[in-house]
Amino acid sequence: MNAKIISEDRLGALVADLVASGTRVTAPARAADGKVDYRPITRIEEAVLESELPRRSLKEFFLPPTEPLFSWNRDASGVRIDQVPTSFPPHVVLGARPCDAAAVDILDRVMGWDYRDELWFGRREATTIASVACRGVDGSCFCSATGRGPESTRGSDLFMTPTDGGFRVEVLTPKGEAFVTAHAGRFGDDPGPAAAGASQADAEGPRISLPTVQAWLERNFDHPLWEEIALRCHGCGACASVCPTCHCFDIVDEAEGVTAGTRRRNWDTCQVSRFTVHASGHNPRPDQGARFRQRLTHKFHIYPTRFGEVLCTGCGRCSRACPGGMDLPEVLQAITRLAAGPGQATGGEA
Amino acid sequence: MRELQELARKLLADGTVKVVIGWEEGPHGVRPAFVVDPDRADRLVFDERCTHNLASYLSPRRPHLTRLGKPAVVVKGCDARAVAGLIRESQLKREEIVVIGVRCGGVLADPSTAEPLSAETVADRCAGCQAREPHLADHLVGEAHPEPPGKGGRDARIGELEAMTAQERWGFWQAELARCVRCNACREVCPMCFCERCVADKTQPQWIESSPHARGNLAWHVARALHQAGRCVDCGECERACPADIPLGLLNRKMARVVEQRFGYRAGDDPAAPAPIGVFKLDDAQEFIL
Repeated sequence: MNAKIISEDRLGALVADLVASGTRVTAPARAADGKVDYRPITRIEEAVLESELPRRSLKEFFLPPTEPLFSWNRDASGVRIDQVPTSFPPHVVLGARPCDAAAVDILDRVMGWDYRDELWFGRREATTIASVACRGVDGSCFCSATGRGPESTRGSDLFMTPTDGGFRVEVLTPKGEAFVTAHAGRFGDDPGPAAAGASQADAEGPRISLPTVQAWLERNFDHPLWEEIALRCHGCGACASVCPTCHCFDIVDEAEGVTAGTRRRNWDTCQVSRFTVHASGHNPRPDQGARFRQRLTHKFHIYPTRFGEVLCTGCGRCSRACPGGMDLPEVLQAITRLAAGPGQATGGEA
Repeated sequence: MRELQELARKLLADGTVKVVIGWEEGPHGVRPAFVVDPDRADRLVFDERCTHNLASYLSPRRPHLTRLGKPAVVVKGCDARAVAGLIRESQLKREEIVVIGVRCGGVLADPSTAEPLSAETVADRCAGCQAREPHLADHLVGEAHPEPPGKGGRDARIGELEAMTAQERWGFWQAELARCVRCNACREVCPMCFCERCVADKTQPQWIESSPHARGNLAWHVARALHQAGRCVDCGECERACPADIPLGLLNRKMARVVEQRFGYRAGDDPAAPAPIGVFKLDDAQEFIL
């Protein structure tokens, strides 16, 4: 794939072109309370391409917090089911963070695994993702430790690296190529490979060995670590709501009167007790230790076992959001140390 | 700090308690700590970053914590109101816990910040705080601090909201609540949200839709504000935990003011003080009952 350049002025003109043609444009932008969210923009001036990490990830543009699956209506002639559309109008995300773009690509695996999620892929196909190389955000970031980094192009159709007065734009996918071709007037040819700019992000990150963690999780379901580490966890689920890769959902039927209603799917999380409570009242995950173990095991054992990679991009939002001071990299480092230390042969029975 | 650490060590060493719930240095600022080993009591800290209300960890709904045995909990004056609330509402017996009170001069809104305490960084509830020494405490430690900085922007904000037309106020809350994804963090961190089964989780019938759409979000936040009226201890944990930064403190504070005006009651740290939700008085105002 090739590369292009675009000046800041032309990027502004490109956004204007897109908006004029009816394309929805989303970029990191400040909300009324001053915080940054991925938000709809109509002018490039609204975008803050280098800022703190947006409050939530890109996940919600493909798996919204709530969405209708179908609605029903009963009258004298019978029951009518109204399906929801599974194709979507064009959408461009400008200024995605590499950790957020990668997450969407990682989630494609499970969304297309045993059942192809039409709503997820409908939105995926309609969306072109242009990411911007990251300079790192703060001490909660650990993307490098999850096997990628602040300049990872994973999940991006276009990857923008800041240059003097503009961006160098790597074209990474056929969708990215089509986009650049459709807006050829706004892009210039790349004069050559950019000087490898040293990332300002911490390329070292915490010392975590993902294969070690995966192997340890296989053998330590009953390790005392779980109870100890989850003491401060409130089971509030804030981590999952800001996580770019947590994707569990609940399906509910909401009646509107007696004869009509809507089936919806809503975000859900394994961190709350009701996620697993049975109709009998029995809960197979009876406490927060079991629930936290589930979240960690899903991300660092189950997903890599099935799909070959961890379900985490190291964005650090879980640590920033946690009201109890839980820190995922700290836990992964603790496991890495436990796996290396004495006592391992006992299978973790302390 | 030495005084707190020494007290915790002694309580653990002589078997008075099995765990001391306090604060420690974490990877990103201070965070809750659970000390079971007397030799590790030197982990405990207390300073202006100790924003968290640790009384949330006393809830009987947390089996992995109750299994540890009798706790001592370190509380600021505001947190002590939650301990009192749990006792008042029969969730705890006073003799089941040891309360270590710390004298407080205000805490930061964000415990992970490295900024000093100032009018800009202080938690909103601290301005004009009348509860800087918990009366409920078995042990009171630390030195007296000067009054917290700040002017309490939240009361001013409530004044602005009250001055709006109903339509403007509706617009304000619609925009704020639109960010809610119903993660329920506000409920789970709240020391006074201890129900075994929350009305919001009931499905037959479903009183409150679980979907984060306008209807479900409004139903949830109105229900929560009403259930907290006269019970909320104004510790600010719901607002701090909210990943969408919804100003939940405005709702709770407004309800607390209504209860104070109508019933002359403010949630304090005396567990024996009867709260409006739990008592009937013949002279209660009843003109709103049809």
